[in-house]
Amino acid sequence: MSEVGHDHPHVEISQSAPPGYYEIMETAVRELLIDKKLIGADEIRRQIEVLDSRSPALGAKLVARAWVDPAFRARLLADGRKACEEEFDISFYDDTALIVLENTEKIHNLIVCTLCSCYPRPVLGLPPDWYKLKPYRARAVIEPRAVLAEFGTIIPDDVEVRVSDSTAMVRYLVLPRRPDGTEHYSEDQLAALVTRDTMIGVVEASVERATP
Amino acid sequence: MTDTRNLVERLPNDIGGLPADPVQRVDHELLPWEKRCHALADVLDFHKIINTEEKRCGVEALGAELVGKLTYYERWIVAFANILFRKGVLAPTELALKMKEIEARLVAELSSTRPSP
Repeated sequence: MSEVGHDHPHVEISQSAPPGYYEIMETAVRELLIDKKLIGADEIRRQIEVLDSRSPALGAKLVARAWVDPAFRARLLADGRKACEEEFDISFYDDTALIVLENTEKIHNLIVCTLCSCYPRPVLGLPPDWYKLKPYRARAVIEPRAVLAEFGTIIPDDVEVRVSDSTAMVRYLVLPRRPDGTEHYSEDQLAALVTRDTMIGVVEASVERATP
Repeated sequence: MTDTRNLVERLPNDIGGLPADPVQRVDHELLPWEKRCHALADVLDFHKIINTEEKRCGVEALGAELVGKLTYYERWIVAFANILFRKGVLAPTELALKMKEIEARLVAELSSTRPSP
């Protein structure tokens, strides 16, 4: 994307409907802050590019590497943020810690943000709407197995379901279990099995499924 | 328990553990202004003008009715405006005037770019 000197305050207007009240408010707040030199127009544009560069594909790479490289897995579990920054060059553009939660034969992890919408955005991008809405936020902590069942995920009774509630400072990422029958898969082939929902913990990684 | 006690103990964002409907797996592609709003939130955080917790708190301070009726990024931008007023960064009149100006500008831009019939 070009970064030519361009101080036109608005970032992009690509729509044909008349602007709504809240869109006008967003533009007004942003332009006033730029006028007061509290923020730069370029900063907003650059941050949009950063947001666009983050998607579950990044998280999937981490998971696939953790599946094939036990030493990396240990480092990822010890300090998620450090492993992302130092070994995958994934910058954390906020002041958050990343705790990676490993699913095992005996533990299934699920992440939620009951208070709002905290999410491991540097490695997964922005959360889906359902993650931010009341049904998931309210129920994930009180009846996780029922919520999982709504995603088609049945966790056996002898497997503990652990729910981790995110905060403004601490974000979680689930390290799903490597599916059986993938011993011969390459790291890239493994990454293709790792969907967003497997890293939220609402579904398990599977060789058959490639949903979000 | 009195019928207001729950309102005191649970602020609008504090919904963990409450009964709720089944999860509908809804999602949408962010509108351009929503993405700008998100970028604005991040930039405000970088500059320590409004941090993530202040934003969350600002949304909560909108009260249950507004939290229930506004969409996600509508809540954010209204919360930002209120927080900026409280911090003395912006004044309400200043924002109102700027909004008027921008509305006029956007409407003019729209009519000038719209192909004539």
